[in-house]
Amino acid sequence: MTTVPTAAMSDVRTTTRATAPLGRVLRSELRFILRRPRTLVALAALAFTPVIAGISVAIAAGSMSGGRRDDIAGIAMLVADNGLILPIFVLLLAMPMMLPLCGAMWSADALAGEASTGGLRNLLLAPVSRPRLLAVKAFGVAAVSLLAVTIMAVTAILAGIVLLGGEGMLTLSGSTMSVPASLGRIALLTLLVTIQVWAVAAIALAISSTTDHPLIVLAATTGGIVLFTVLGGIDTLSWLHPVLLTDGWLDMADVVRDPLPADGLVENAFRATCYILIGYSLALARLTTRDG
Amino acid sequence: METKKTVLSFAAAGTVAGVAGLVLLASPAGAGEAPPELPAISPDDLVESVLNTEIPALSGSVALENNLGLPLPGMPGSTDGAEIRVFTDGEGKHRVQLPDSGTETTVIDDGKTVWVWNSSERSVTKVPHGADGKAHEKPLESRFADPATAARELVDAMQKDSEVDVDGTARVADRPVYQLVLTPKPTERTLLREVRVSVDSETRVPLQVEVLANGQAEPAVKAGFTEFADGPQDASLFQFTPPEGATVTEQDPNEEFRGQAPKDLFGDLDLNTYGEGWDTVLTATIPNDMLTMPFDEARPGGDRGDRGDRGERGGFANGSDNPLELLGTLGKQVSGDFGTGYVISANVGTALITEDGKVAIGAVPEQVVIEAAEQMK
Repeated sequence: MTTVPTAAMSDVRTTTRATAPLGRVLRSELRFILRRPRTLVALAALAFTPVIAGISVAIAAGSMSGGRRDDIAGIAMLVADNGLILPIFVLLLAMPMMLPLCGAMWSADALAGEASTGGLRNLLLAPVSRPRLLAVKAFGVAAVSLLAVTIMAVTAILAGIVLLGGEGMLTLSGSTMSVPASLGRIALLTLLVTIQVWAVAAIALAISSTTDHPLIVLAATTGGIVLFTVLGGIDTLSWLHPVLLTDGWLDMADVVRDPLPADGLVENAFRATCYILIGYSLALARLTTRDG
Repeated sequence: METKKTVLSFAAAGTVAGVAGLVLLASPAGAGEAPPELPAISPDDLVESVLNTEIPALSGSVALENNLGLPLPGMPGSTDGAEIRVFTDGEGKHRVQLPDSGTETTVIDDGKTVWVWNSSERSVTKVPHGADGKAHEKPLESRFADPATAARELVDAMQKDSEVDVDGTARVADRPVYQLVLTPKPTERTLLREVRVSVDSETRVPLQVEVLANGQAEPAVKAGFTEFADGPQDASLFQFTPPEGATVTEQDPNEEFRGQAPKDLFGDLDLNTYGEGWDTVLTATIPNDMLTMPFDEARPGGDRGDRGDRGERGGFANGSDNPLELLGTLGKQVSGDFGTGYVISANVGTALITEDGKVAIGAVPEQVVIEAAEQMK
């Protein structure tokens, strides 16, 4: 191996240089997603939800209800005069449908959307490795999902402090947490919710890699979430429940219990990680075998 | 196309790993594990060590399961495997947390006062300890959350009328345990087959109690730790300050403390026991108005989530849909010296409820509850 000609070495170098630096590609992918009007509309809707929720609690304190959802109704009881719990409330409110759908939408755009406009064909033909292409797309979806959840949490913190006030955070266990500790819990929930959205987005990306129609991705993901929720509600299928991604979503109210019961939250994150792994693996397999 | 193959095998490995992770989540912990090796111990020594052990400072989670098919009054969490979190400092301070979907009831005994926090009502009930410095009575919510004490009391009460044996070892809450088995002596008239107490090999704290009925493979009642850690606990866990804006009600410690749930149910019941050991029959007299009250409001277990409404007595008898009528459909009508009543049989026990409100219940055949009812005044 010591006799490799210098020419070959320089060849290798030129090929490496031919691909753009990863940082720049990731930045441009993100800019590309954020420039789409529907992305901006979705982010704005997520940013306004906490404000609307905050105003309705401030006007009609105590009469908030979560419809048929016990977990939301329970937290809603604590929202009045307890502004820092508003981020927890809105994140849990958006967890079962709103946030997963946003994640699915970005995944749908990433591959199926590109395919429907013919853009994916160019990308597949370009001298870029398919795993790298998928990594860039997956990064874009993950980054914008994190951004969406964070925007929601931050506007909820502001709306909570301004509209509802309260010092520290009253937990479900009846203790009052200091402001830094409360912000820590909010950050934790933001992260946990993001991981769940990533899991949905990963599965959606796998579906996205098989079709040219972004709507199919959205429909399949929505159908999947509804199906999982229904299965999760059937007691005789309790053996199946630990496998369902949606199963732990309602238990995330655990972040406002004191002391923090970590077990369920860790299990949730682990379950989501499994789905992320499966989703990206399938997307990778499909993208690799897909003809240019 | 070597790289394509490599990529595909990576993808396959990733999928397999993800699926394996999910399977791991779905498989019950500790299944198929060999029982731990522990030094042999005689049944008498084990019983003695259980009865003499002080419950140390500990934290843990307690799960309750019942296959009775009957709603048990004040047995929280028996519906959906919800776990109860318990903490104690070993010196009389306790913290019990009963999480439910989006709500929590927290009971804290700080050594001087018992506090009950109910998040769904944002309310606090404060009960100072009585003059003797002891909590007059444990709130109902936390009474079931202490399998260790319950098991000790059970072993203490039952050992005289039981064959006591050590049936190997097992694992409970990830700790090696001895299985102490109490079986009724042949003279006992009971529907139960055995009571199985899992005793922690190290601390000798009972970690789990299972009650098994004749002809049933699954325990009829199972209460035990799913997580258990002994060691000093953070003192702040046993302090409570009512949060701002919460409704605080103070209760007289000398009154019967009934906790939040089955309010008013256990008052004036005139509880008595007949017999001893396995064929103990518990008798009580139900106030008349409760028997004729519409069923939904009398039912102590209630549905999940309506804890707030429970216990507030609503409109009285209009004659329809009251517990007595329901008994007619559930049970078998019997009559005797005690009057007329209904017998309800379950795998683990029998209950007799008469029309004038006498109740006899025990883990015994029908004959024994009727005998007990006949002795009632």
